[in-house]
Amino acid sequence: MSIVAIFVNVLLFLLLAPLFEGVMRRITARVQSRQGPPIVQPYYDLFKLLGKERINSAGNWAFKLAPLAALASILAVVSLVPFGSRVNALGGRVDAITVVYLLTLGGVSVLLGALASRNTFAAIGASREMVTMVMVEPVLAMTLILGAVRTHSLGLGPAVFSTAGAGFSLSTGVMLVAYLLALQAFVAKQPFDIPEAEIEILEGPFIEYSGPDYGMFRIYMMMKQMFYAWLFVAVFIPIGRTGLYPLNILLQLLGTLVVFVVIALVGSTNPRLRIDQAVKIYAVLILIALGAVGLAVAGV
Amino acid sequence: MDAIARIETGLKGRFGADIKGLSSPSPARLFVDVDRRALRASSKMLIELGGRYMVGIGYDEIARNGTLGLIHTFAFDADHVAVVLRTSAPASDPTFDSITPDIPNAGWSEREYQDLLGMKFTGHPKPKRLILADDWPDGIYPLRKEVPYNLEPPAAEDVAYRLDEAPPGTTIVPVGPFHVSLHEPEHFAVYVDGETIKGCDYRGFMTHRGIEKLCQTQVSYNEVPFVAERICGICGSVHAVCYAQAVETAAGIPISRRAEYIRTIMLEIERLHSHLLWLGIAGHLIGFDTVFMQAWRVREKVMWLAERITGNRKTYGMVLIGGVRRDITPEIRSEIEGMLATLEKEVMVLKNAVIGDSAIHRRTKGVGFLSKEDAIRWSLVGPVARARGLRLDARKDHPYAAYGDMTFDVPVVDSCDVWGTLVVRVLEIFESIAILRQALAGMPADGPILTAIPEALPPLRHAVSMVEAPRGESVHYVITGEENRPERWRVRAPTYPNLQAVPAMLLDNQFADFPIILGQIDPCFSCTDRVAVVDAGTGAKRVLGRAELEGMSRKPEGGGSRS
Repeated sequence: MSIVAIFVNVLLFLLLAPLFEGVMRRITARVQSRQGPPIVQPYYDLFKLLGKERINSAGNWAFKLAPLAALASILAVVSLVPFGSRVNALGGRVDAITVVYLLTLGGVSVLLGALASRNTFAAIGASREMVTMVMVEPVLAMTLILGAVRTHSLGLGPAVFSTAGAGFSLSTGVMLVAYLLALQAFVAKQPFDIPEAEIEILEGPFIEYSGPDYGMFRIYMMMKQMFYAWLFVAVFIPIGRTGLYPLNILLQLLGTLVVFVVIALVGSTNPRLRIDQAVKIYAVLILIALGAVGLAVAGV
Repeated sequence: MDAIARIETGLKGRFGADIKGLSSPSPARLFVDVDRRALRASSKMLIELGGRYMVGIGYDEIARNGTLGLIHTFAFDADHVAVVLRTSAPASDPTFDSITPDIPNAGWSEREYQDLLGMKFTGHPKPKRLILADDWPDGIYPLRKEVPYNLEPPAAEDVAYRLDEAPPGTTIVPVGPFHVSLHEPEHFAVYVDGETIKGCDYRGFMTHRGIEKLCQTQVSYNEVPFVAERICGICGSVHAVCYAQAVETAAGIPISRRAEYIRTIMLEIERLHSHLLWLGIAGHLIGFDTVFMQAWRVREKVMWLAERITGNRKTYGMVLIGGVRRDITPEIRSEIEGMLATLEKEVMVLKNAVIGDSAIHRRTKGVGFLSKEDAIRWSLVGPVARARGLRLDARKDHPYAAYGDMTFDVPVVDSCDVWGTLVVRVLEIFESIAILRQALAGMPADGPILTAIPEALPPLRHAVSMVEAPRGESVHYVITGEENRPERWRVRAPTYPNLQAVPAMLLDNQFADFPIILGQIDPCFSCTDRVAVVDAGTGAKRVLGRAELEGMSRKPEGGGSRS
């Protein structure tokens, strides 16, 4: 069963990530008094992209490798996570740090693609992406470390389900605030969609990408969004622990959906910040996250 | 002593015999003919007397008396006067002193006539090509009468615009010729250090349509308003009214009061439309698409209104020399009033949401700063100037149409940044609504809307006309001609002066703010580019040939990049 769970993870993430994206687009449209695209539009978009000709506009291998590496890293992440509160065959063999590494690898792949494309706008996007990665990933790491401290285990299951395992505490509350504030940056939505910033740097790192390569990046982005939204539910809202695996999955997916609604609402009611303004906010978030870990160490 | 007398005395006292003629056809205009020797000094004196540089006009008089004419125009806003400084030089030696060192805003006007008429300006700080395509052959000056309007010189492949030297330690980010924050093809080479802007060079004038040349050679007086409307998709009525007023003044054609009221109504509807459109775009430029969509939803009502009155959502086709083409009936009037009430409510919601949003404050306050002194030095106009503490508004300063009868406020703030521009434009929406209500109430009950114009208008009369477009003052200069069309028609849209100051506003800002800093002037490149003559079709190629642009549009087999 625990091997089946790996496939359940990967399949559900692959299949549902575009759906959540579609929900988000629909909500954004409603906030903007628009009809909005069909909820399944992201699937159409992906099929269209995947069916196009593959063009290596930079002419080097790194440019072609980057989207594959990004997609591979996020697939690896979702295959590990204890989705539906079940630690699967892979998840039992790794710890929380692995997840952080793999997520960073995804970001690095984006950087690789951006730098390989040798485009000025991609280069600006890459530098912004790098800053964002350095400043925001610590919040994710701290969230898992907090779990590890509170459950005295770096194992993926305990670290993720710390609230369920060790109960809700002040440190969890503080971390919840930090995570919520960082959420828009994790999923690269306003006000923190700075690395892509369409109007300034034309989608930054992805400017040279088209067709299947861009499609893979899109899947990567959507799955990453879904992962971060799911992680919030898994860590802070201990639902989906009924003992019945399919029901657990369903409950967690519903929680994820709610998080996506929040992301869409915040995203559609904020302008984009500048990177220098965002960095100041990220710094505060890191401090809050550190404080939460400190509280957890002190046992609060 | 009134302003005209004061200026006359000042100029005569200082330049004496160099002043060849002075005439004042109306209390609001002063035409001064000056010897070219005294051009720079007299221009400088006009600025010192409180003048604001508007635009330069060059014209070809070779067939008539072997000279090239040059005109600089100045507005004395507080005195409600415009001064026209005319001079000329023999075509064999068309050299003038550049006034750009004293008046930076004259830079483009002078470069324009260097390109188009072959004038030379001694002492110009940046005498680069401005308008003509880079492969346009030397020695063909398209605005001269001997050059046919449809001349197509052969294209050349190996010429390129040379960008200004980048400051040391900076990299060049090419914004344009095609970039999402520009809605028209233009090229800004932005020199950045990290993300901080250290300089900028501009190569524009890529949307060549040759409108001025076309109207001086091919069409007749009353066809020009329709062409003028097509200079710009947003402020078409402004250009049509401005042109019609210039011709009416030059030829002494009186127009009916009712027509003036209808023009006022159309101009204000256009302003409502433009302000809402800009607000939406400003939101989009800072990544706030909800503002974009909501502002444009409200704007839709204005377009509905325009369609109700004129049959067109934009490009109304209302204005002719002598009046307007359609009347406003009592039914339409009540529909306009009903629409204004809904509009006011919706805009109020929008205003409260935008003005109170601290996230918008963060992206606009202190951004694109340019001091009041610099705003005067660069002769800024419109909301960009009013955001910098300058109380400039052609509707008040140089009243035209029915604005003399209207009571309204000119919102002025002194934050000197993008935020100020935003506040000014949002507040002006309410003033526009107030003006529309007054105009509807005060409009003469009936009367003709169009004065028939005589078969032939008196030739070689000069007139300048100013209209406050939503983005600032538009200036049209007309010299009447002998062939039922203007001999010379010069259009200056508000973007022309404002765009010249953008490099100064960009300096030391973040690259992320580039779109909104440029966006705050609401640049209308098509307005600015109206003048250049038939394009050889190679515009973008040469600019894209630059090394830093190669990354943008690479071809698989490594050939030259093209747009």
